[in-house]
Amino acid sequence: MTEIAVDRDAERMGFFTDTTVCIGCKACEVACKQWNDLPSDGGTFRKGGSYDSTGSLSGNTWRHVRFVELADAGGGVREEEVPDLVATAAANGLGGDPISVEAAVAAFDNWVFMSDVCKHCTNAGCLDACPTGALIRTEFETVVLQPDVCNGCGYCVPACPFGVVDRAPEDGRAGKCTLCYDRLEDGMEPACAKACPTDSIQFGPYDELVEVAKRRVATLHARGVEGAYLYGAADAPERQLAGGLGAFFLLTEKPERFGLPANADSPIQENVVPATVAAIGAGLLAAAGVAAAFLWEKTR
Amino acid sequence: MSEFEPAVGKPASPAFGRRTGKEIKLHTGSFEEGRWSYIFGDGTDYASAMPDLAAIEQAARDARTGELPDVVQGPVINAPVWTWEIPLYFWFGGIAAGSSFVALACDLAGDEESAAVARKVALAALLPSPPLLIMDLGRPERFYNMLRIFKPRSPMSMGAWALTAFGNLAAAAVGADLLGRRREARALGAANAIVGGYLGSYTGVLLASTAVPVWARSRLFLGPIFVSTAAATGAAATRLALVATGLPVGHPTRRALGTVETAAMSAELILSVINERRLGELASGLEQGRSGRQFKAAKWAVRLGLGLRFARKPLGPRIHHLASVLYLCAGLLFRYAWVGAGRESASHDRVVAKMARDRGPGT
Repeated sequence: MTEIAVDRDAERMGFFTDTTVCIGCKACEVACKQWNDLPSDGGTFRKGGSYDSTGSLSGNTWRHVRFVELADAGGGVREEEVPDLVATAAANGLGGDPISVEAAVAAFDNWVFMSDVCKHCTNAGCLDACPTGALIRTEFETVVLQPDVCNGCGYCVPACPFGVVDRAPEDGRAGKCTLCYDRLEDGMEPACAKACPTDSIQFGPYDELVEVAKRRVATLHARGVEGAYLYGAADAPERQLAGGLGAFFLLTEKPERFGLPANADSPIQENVVPATVAAIGAGLLAAAGVAAAFLWEKTR
Repeated sequence: MSEFEPAVGKPASPAFGRRTGKEIKLHTGSFEEGRWSYIFGDGTDYASAMPDLAAIEQAARDARTGELPDVVQGPVINAPVWTWEIPLYFWFGGIAAGSSFVALACDLAGDEESAAVARKVALAALLPSPPLLIMDLGRPERFYNMLRIFKPRSPMSMGAWALTAFGNLAAAAVGADLLGRRREARALGAANAIVGGYLGSYTGVLLASTAVPVWARSRLFLGPIFVSTAAATGAAATRLALVATGLPVGHPTRRALGTVETAAMSAELILSVINERRLGELASGLEQGRSGRQFKAAKWAVRLGLGLRFARKPLGPRIHHLASVLYLCAGLLFRYAWVGAGRESASHDRVVAKMARDRGPGT
């Protein structure tokens, strides 16, 4: 039996997810499920009109590799409409023996993958909404849900502008990425970043990651990938997403193609003050109106 | 920009490191091997260029401004998980809040007996509320965690406390009535009307403080709409209760309640129609699907009730009771429509994405 005395200076830790090197292997999803002991949501082929079988982040899926089929005009193809892949390949000159590797590689550009995750926002909507204090900000400045406190009220679900946190139906509690808080406490990187074979998911101190990400964007711009941009970091203060995202992304398409909002902030910080002023004002007015009606009828 | 700063939650004290325990096998105590990347080192040309900050910022600005792209691959936000218990609670809570207004007004007008009935209506309407809310929780046995913290920022937390305060005050006021302590009952009833002002309106704030387009974009209307429903249904329920206890036709309290329910329901209808118009495309949740049908039915129930109210002269006073019942039904339909509209609205990916794009950063 030995003592652990970890006097670590905690700093903001985060994820930098670079979609340009993601190969869509879903190792991060599997590693996340395995480490966090999460059940399956059930895979459906072409869920949400994509070849992606996961569909979305949920109470049981804390990493989700989104498949974006750029050749698709949108709306997706239903399962029964999926063409016979072998026949299509043959018709396009890809079939037979040997397969044209060059043509196949060229077609890669039609497919983009993005490993989506909780953004660990600076202005976190879920954290503002939680009435039990189950959601906390940790010493790593991540947002963690304490499952032993959560009573499943569900208010964090619509309070998240990114559609991350959700209530797991069979468990009853809300669930989302913890940035592997338990692993961080023991000095280990999160399971998804550890498993990522191409280092599309990079974990580290937030400031260092932002530096790397900026240099990466500059590198891509220099190579002619002009659409590359950072989603959630390196913005001017007034243009930040939810005050800056602890887990940010390098994207090459418009955010909506990845199901991400173009702008976001904690809905509570945006709306609760004006809504409360209007509501309490109306409440006082209603009480006064009722009293006035009674007094008027009495004197009539 | 946010309406107020800073965000709740500060970094926790890093004192956990002084914890005593068994050393685990994989414990490393630092992130050395996990830092940044094991593939892309400084020697690679993964991120070798010197960043041009203005160009990087501009790239993000270009991607996040301008027209909404043709394809939105959702879901963008998760739909609320609340089921039928929540709108039913909104309805009961609204009746309780509205009855507390009526009790105060009766006391001010000197009608103590009607005030006592109104206080009983308030308590009776409140009683089903906690069970309904607890049933909707994912972990009902942990409902008491709602009272673990007091969080002014969270309408859900404030609502839990308001409901607790209202329930205790309502029970105490009815208890004072039963003991014949009129003065105490009046004071407790007055305090309850103040709490009721929040109980009847916070539900609107609760819905408005979310990322759901139809709710968030109605933020200045939801509170007033919900308070109007509360006043109207509270007055209608109290009116029916007073009629049942034998309050004669033409009594000032009965007349006043008729005025209140009509005025409040008219206000509700007018505010709803204005709000729906100004929302435009973002009102899709209130126009389509089941919630759309409920919303339409609720509006027609109000119109019919108002019509009956003015047909009172030829048809006799009893027809007014039907109007009161219609107002109660309309209130219930409005509650279901508004909660259902949130689920509907959150699933309209294009509408959600459009709201985020159109509003620009920090508005």
